[in-house]
Amino acid sequence: MEKTDLSKHKAWLLLAPTSVLYVITFLIPLATLFILSFAKFESSVTTVGLYLDNYQKILSDGITLKIFFQTVKLSLIITLTCLILGYPVAMFMRNAGPRARLWILFFVVSPLLTSIIVRNVAWVLILGRSGMINDALISWGWISKPLPLMYNTFGVVLAVVHVYLSFMVLPLFAALNSINKSLEEAASSLGAKPLNVFLSVTLPLSLPGIMAGCTLVFILSMGVYLTPVIMGGNFVVTLPMLIEDAVRNRYNWPEASAMALLLLLAIAIMIIISSRLQRWVNR
Amino acid sequence: MVLISSLVLFFLTAPLVILVIQSFTNESYLSFPPPSYGVRWYGEVISSEDWQKATILSLIIAAIVTPLSLVFGTLVAFGLERGPRSGKQTLQAVMISPMVLPHIVLGLGLFKIALQFNIADSLWAFVPAHLTITIPFVIVTVGASLQTFNVTLEEAARSLGASRFWAVWYVTLPIIRPGLIAGAIFSFIISFDEFIITFFLATFQRTLPLEMFSTLMYQVKPSIAAVSALTLAVTAILTALLMFRGQVVGGGKIIK
Repeated sequence: MEKTDLSKHKAWLLLAPTSVLYVITFLIPLATLFILSFAKFESSVTTVGLYLDNYQKILSDGITLKIFFQTVKLSLIITLTCLILGYPVAMFMRNAGPRARLWILFFVVSPLLTSIIVRNVAWVLILGRSGMINDALISWGWISKPLPLMYNTFGVVLAVVHVYLSFMVLPLFAALNSINKSLEEAASSLGAKPLNVFLSVTLPLSLPGIMAGCTLVFILSMGVYLTPVIMGGNFVVTLPMLIEDAVRNRYNWPEASAMALLLLLAIAIMIIISSRLQRWVNR
Repeated sequence: MVLISSLVLFFLTAPLVILVIQSFTNESYLSFPPPSYGVRWYGEVISSEDWQKATILSLIIAAIVTPLSLVFGTLVAFGLERGPRSGKQTLQAVMISPMVLPHIVLGLGLFKIALQFNIADSLWAFVPAHLTITIPFVIVTVGASLQTFNVTLEEAARSLGASRFWAVWYVTLPIIRPGLIAGAIFSFIISFDEFIITFFLATFQRTLPLEMFSTLMYQVKPSIAAVSALTLAVTAILTALLMFRGQVVGGGKIIK
C-alpha cells in the first residue's frame, strides 16, 4: 500500500512558498517596527539605536496613555455588548431546526463578508444629522434639533458591534452545539427550573465559547480604525487613529512603531489571560 | 429568546436594506423613504471615471490575489495535514497567525517595507499584502475539508498506479472542492473589501474602499449609497454561493 503521509522534507516544501511570503510581509515588517520603536526621532531625523524616548513619551505625555485606556474601555464595551446580543442568537440557532438554522447562519455570516465601509455608510444614512431617524423625528414634530446619534461613543459602539457580532455568535454556537443535551435534560428531570438549568449547566459548559468569542472581538476592536473615523468624527479617538496620524501626518515612525507595539502588548495580555482562564475552566 | 434573536437579526439586516432602498432615489439628496424612485445614481456611478478606475483596480488585485492565495494556502493545508504529526499544531498556529494581528499594525509594517523597496502605491505592494491576510482563510477552509476527506480513496488511486500528483489532482481535489470554493470566495471578498492596509500603501492609486472612504469623508451623496448597494450585491451573491456550495465547517455542508 502506498503511503499518503509525506516525509518531513516534502511537507516543508509545501509550506515553503507561504513561509517565504510571510518572512517578507509579516516577520520583517514586525521586526522593523520593533527596531524602530527603540529609535530616536529628532527634528524629522530618525536615528536607530536603543533609546527609550518613544516609550517614555507615550507613558508621560498624558494623552497617548489616556487614549490607549479609552481604546481598551471602548473594546470592552463592544465585547460585552456583542456577548449580550450574541448569546441569545447562538442559543436560538442551537434550538432551531436544520433549515431555520441555515437561514440564521446566513444572516450571521453574511455581515462577516460584507464590506465594513458599506455597513458604516448604512449607519451614517440612519444615524447622521440628517439621517433617517432624525429626519423622521423632526418631521413628526417630536424634536426640533437633530439628536446626536453619531459622532460619539454610542454611534461607534453600535457600528462596531454590527461588524463584529458574527465573530461572537460563531464560537458561542460551536460551544453550545457541542453540549450534550442529555445533561440539561437530566438536570430538569431532577427538578431544576429552566433558569437554574441554564445557570448551572448550560452557561458553565459554554464558557470556552464565551471566552473564545470575547477574546476574538476584543482583539478585533482594539485594532479598529475605519469605523471610529467614520462614526466618531474627531470625537472618538482610538490608538489606531493616533498611529495613522503619527505616520501619515508627522512622519514619526519611531513613535508610531512604539504605539503599535503597545497595541500588540495589550492583545498579547488579553490572549494570555484568556488561555489561563481556559485552562482553569478545563480543570 | 426568539424575540431577542429576531431583534438582533433585524439589527444586522435592516440597515443594509434601508441602504439599498435609499440608493434608488431620484432626488439629489438621500432620504428615507425616497420621494421618488429611479436608477439615476446608478447611471451616474457606472459612467463616472473615478468609480470605474477604482473598481477596476480592486478587481485586478482580487483577480491576482484569489488564485495565488488558493494555491499557496492549499499547499500549506496539504503540508500540515499530511506532514509529520509532531509539532503540527504549533506549525498551524504559525501559518494562520496573520489572522490575529491587527491590520493597522500589519499595514504600518508593510508600508515601511514598501517604502524601503520603493514599491509603495503599486500592485507589487498591494498583492503580497492582501495575500498575507487571505492565505490563512484558505488554510483553515481547505484544512477543514482535508480533515474529513477519506484518505483510502487517494490510496486506492495510487495502488492502481496513479502517481501522487495525479491521484491528488483527479481524486482528492474534486472531493474537497467545497473547501476550495470557500477559500477562493473568502480570499476574493477579503481582498476586495480590504481597507486599512491598502490605505497605508496607496498614495495616488485608489481601490474601491479607498474611493468610497474619501467620498464619504467629503460628502454623503446618493452616489455613495449606489456604490455600496452594488458592492453589497456582489458580496451577497458570493455569500450565497459560499453557504450553499462551499464549506466553512468540516463535515459536509456548513451544518451537518
